[in-house]
Amino acid sequence: MIDFWILLTGALVASCCGILGAFLVLRKMAMIGDAISHSVLPGIVIAFMISGSRDSFAMLLGASLLGLVTVFLIQMFKQSGVQADASIGVVFTALFAVGVVLVSLNARQVDLDLDCVLYGEIAYVHWNTWSMSGVDLGPKAVWLLGFTLLVILAVLGLFYKQFKLCAFDPALAAALGIPVALFHYLLMGLVSMATVSSFESVGAILVVGLLIIPASTAYLLTDRLGRMIALSAGIGVLSTVIGYGAAVVLDASIAGCMVCAAALLFVLAFLFSPKHGLVARAARRRRLSRQQLGA
Amino acid sequence: MNILKFASVQRALLTVFYLAAAAIIISACGTSGNSEDDGRLKVTSTIGMIHDLVKNIGGDRVASTGLMGPGTDPHLYKASHGDIRKLDEADIIFYNGLHLEGKMGEVLVKLEKRKAVVPVTKNIPRSSLMLVDDSGQGTYDPHVWFDVSRWISAAEVIEETLAGLDQDNADYYKERAAEYIGRLKQLDQYAREQLASIPEERRILVTAHDAFGYFGKAYGIRVLGLQGISTASEYGSKDVSDLRNFLVDNKIRAVFIESSVPKRSIEAVLEGSKKRGHTVEIGGELFSDAMGQEGTVEGTYIGMVTHNINIIVRALK
Repeated sequence: MIDFWILLTGALVASCCGILGAFLVLRKMAMIGDAISHSVLPGIVIAFMISGSRDSFAMLLGASLLGLVTVFLIQMFKQSGVQADASIGVVFTALFAVGVVLVSLNARQVDLDLDCVLYGEIAYVHWNTWSMSGVDLGPKAVWLLGFTLLVILAVLGLFYKQFKLCAFDPALAAALGIPVALFHYLLMGLVSMATVSSFESVGAILVVGLLIIPASTAYLLTDRLGRMIALSAGIGVLSTVIGYGAAVVLDASIAGCMVCAAALLFVLAFLFSPKHGLVARAARRRRLSRQQLGA
Repeated sequence: MNILKFASVQRALLTVFYLAAAAIIISACGTSGNSEDDGRLKVTSTIGMIHDLVKNIGGDRVASTGLMGPGTDPHLYKASHGDIRKLDEADIIFYNGLHLEGKMGEVLVKLEKRKAVVPVTKNIPRSSLMLVDDSGQGTYDPHVWFDVSRWISAAEVIEETLAGLDQDNADYYKERAAEYIGRLKQLDQYAREQLASIPEERRILVTAHDAFGYFGKAYGIRVLGLQGISTASEYGSKDVSDLRNFLVDNKIRAVFIESSVPKRSIEAVLEGSKKRGHTVEIGGELFSDAMGQEGTVEGTYIGMVTHNINIIVRALK
């Protein structure tokens, strides 16, 4: 049963991150997951100062709020002409620094680091159950992530065309009367929601890894957005399965093994992708030069 | 052509997926079938100090395992797959409590519904615990094990729990616990005598991590730490200069580093005092959040505390 819940949680995180990751990679904003993982620090300190406790719910609330602030600021700077990577860097280092200052001013004696109060651990999902009036409803993470996935699917499903156009050709989208900025903010809001709820359930490294790596792998394998999203989610799920198998065999950290598996699949795609892979490109070059010699 | 190739990639991916899924199911069945069950109580403890108590009290009538090995900082501990199995298969789980185990503590509380999960600090009156700040928000210092008399209370909790769940062996546990608590009382006495032999004005312990609050309170030694309570929190530059001035003004002879905290943080302070013409030496390495290697003297609770006391006395006396 433990194995089942861990795999299900992993699959849910991989799907949420894979779907959104595809858009982020296309917009060259893949590092936003890492940014959010740092910039939520002031949120949890403020939540701690207000509530006076290190209760998960207060921490999650504070983190969600700061997650939204982070993506809002990044998007705003980007739209005002700051480079995408620079605006991510500016926002997350600044917010993280604010968090460090707040910790040293207000809570220095309290153990208030992100690892302790916010980041979950996929190993424990099975026991971290949610119960309502005495009835055990199963792991909390599965509910939280399942809900997140549903929201993502609903929003993207309703506005797929708009999101697609905004991702590839924002100028054309604007000319067609699509509120481009609104859709960017909407996407960023989804990213923030997905990453923060995943941090709470499974920890940082897994989320950041699954947000970037499977999407980049999928990007090597196809040129079509729909396929890329499906592949990205599928490769993410596959990574969690292989990674879990490796963690069982090696008796190692589960999240670590899952991200390593994702990286391994990326390397395979990088080498052997039918279109963009190293091997295929070398073969194509050889064929081309032979044709030129023949001509 | 490309579409054909794409389909074959997809098929290959799916094949890998099924293979991996099959491998998981087989390995999962394999491991659960392997677990030995010899009828003894299975006890899993979070930190080494508790594991050591269980070994001493449970003797060979319990199968005791620990999660955090030598040198593992409990604040930064990451569970491996095997650790989940240890928690899942245990009949009893002992942990320190008071937020020492971080977010894992929340999980342990949830596990209470399924099995005996006992914080060994539960019988220490909350009013006698030290708060980690003045805000009165009820955040306690979790490092109770360095006050040996408080650790005796933890030993009693373990003895009661074992005896309650395994009544056939209750007398055995009681006897062993009584014998071990006797040794702890001797240790407590030893600590008191040894530390009292340091001249009073020199009874100041400067260290990198505030794990010695209870130690200082119990044995009358002033404790100053460079970092906050958490090994992960950053320390301010004011801390460094305050501590440096303190060392120089009070002519402190030695400061101490710790097994689970890097030396770097304290070396900055030593540099600073040297520049002001006062030489402080490193008194030695203290064990704080984790014990020494298993099989060595410092790998037991009594050995670890004795080591700390001897190091402190030798450097400050």
